[in-house]
Amino acid sequence: MKKNSMLRVEGISVSYGPVRAVDNVSIEVNEGEIVVLIGANGAGKTTLLRAILGVDKAQSGKVLFLGNDITGKSTDRVAKSGLGLIPEGHLVFSTMTVLENLQLGGYHNPREIDSNLESVFESFPVLRNRLDQTAGTLSGGEQQMLSIARALMSRPKLIMADEPSLGLAPKVVSEIFDILRDLNKKGYTILLAEQNAKKALEFGNRGYVMETGRVVLEGPTQELMSNPEVRHAYLGSNV
Amino acid sequence: MEIFVAQLLNGLSLGSMYVLLVLGFNLMLLVAKIIQFAYPHLVVLSMYVCWAVLRYTDNMLLVVLASVASCIVINIAIEPIFRLLAKRHGLDINVSFVVSMSMALLITDVMSHLLNYGYPIAFPSDWVGKSIFSSGLIAFSAGQAYALFGGIAAVVAFFYLLYRTRQGRVLRAISENSLLSSIIGIPIVKTRVLSYGVAGLLGGLTAVMLARLLGSASPGLGDFVGMKVVAASILAGLGNLKGGLVCGLLLGVAESMAIGYLAGSWSNAIAFMMMLIIMLIKPEGLFGIRA
Repeated sequence: MKKNSMLRVEGISVSYGPVRAVDNVSIEVNEGEIVVLIGANGAGKTTLLRAILGVDKAQSGKVLFLGNDITGKSTDRVAKSGLGLIPEGHLVFSTMTVLENLQLGGYHNPREIDSNLESVFESFPVLRNRLDQTAGTLSGGEQQMLSIARALMSRPKLIMADEPSLGLAPKVVSEIFDILRDLNKKGYTILLAEQNAKKALEFGNRGYVMETGRVVLEGPTQELMSNPEVRHAYLGSNV
Repeated sequence: MEIFVAQLLNGLSLGSMYVLLVLGFNLMLLVAKIIQFAYPHLVVLSMYVCWAVLRYTDNMLLVVLASVASCIVINIAIEPIFRLLAKRHGLDINVSFVVSMSMALLITDVMSHLLNYGYPIAFPSDWVGKSIFSSGLIAFSAGQAYALFGGIAAVVAFFYLLYRTRQGRVLRAISENSLLSSIIGIPIVKTRVLSYGVAGLLGGLTAVMLARLLGSASPGLGDFVGMKVVAASILAGLGNLKGGLVCGLLLGVAESMAIGYLAGSWSNAIAFMMMLIIMLIKPEGLFGIRA
């Protein structure tokens, strides 16, 4: 059965001055999938996600989301069309309360805020008791959960998560991955950029390996895991 | 003691006008990331609008509407210029400062060449009003009451908008992190325009109250008020709304005290000496920079 394509990136390139951060990259994410982008720090994963969302402008190439060309559109319009990015570094509005952060996430569907809040609390019961707390006073793990919850408030069609495990304790990392897996079971399509190749490959259905701005390998995660190059470069040769 | 009370009342009513202008100025700084130095000049221009409308009607509501409408429309009309600048230079508040200073000069020149032949304008005496309370040296005019109580009402409404409404939440979100705001789908340009609009609304109301408080205006008033607004904002810490509230009042009171106890013309020097001293002790302002 051919699955519906949700996101199609066709040969995009992004440069910062003379540095080509993303070089002619094409990826595809189908409905219901978990797709992982792995690669070392500086391989271009974050830039790729930012370019998809229109934060960084692509010099060439095309981005199709749900069949529509979204290349060069403003970030807020792309986000409104159903692309939810969970940015790197558990970013929250730190001077605002947890509730305000969630309300901001639901900016485009004010009428469904209450029902969306309820469904978000099912995945993140810890947030329910913290509604009036200033987001900046939450722990790193809680901020990451808030960041994910805030993205869910907009009912995105595709969730893009950028290094959600970065800087968090191993136990919290497992929790975050459990939550993401759970969201996938509930029907969310996920594109995950992750340095932790082992965790990412165990987690995803398909994967892309990035090196210095290019996609060097792609395929089902099972295949990538048994690929000698991947094992050597990302999983440690003794795995 | 009587002088003190009299000057305190004067200072508070003048200070509440500074407060409103500091709030509008800081809102644009926080949300649109610009220093809009010409904002007080626009407010003075709206005082001219009040004056012109008053020649045809003394309907208070019409005067307020005209003042508010003119200030909102002109302030929003300026916005694309700053947007274009940001596109070319990035969000550089220094660029916006220089550009808005030229706008301020332009507005001042328009007033001094084209409006009332450059002469100061005077508002009708019943517009300022008789004193509604007096005892010895202490006199509280209707105009002062408008400025003080109108100012308080406007400040309360402003903070209600900012902290209790959906649009206010969005304004605060952009002021804290505009990139994150756009990532979660908040329309940046639209919200920035909204900040110009809210500042324009505050400015238009201030224009009416200033007219009732001062009873006159002149082309140079924009520079005069503009310096004070920038001074109070820097004293508080740029972009610090609650600090601006305190420092606006403080500046008004300090100025009035100088008028009461020293030769009046020293009031400006005192205000700026205060700023100099505080800047030397606390470069980030009394309450800390938020922009």
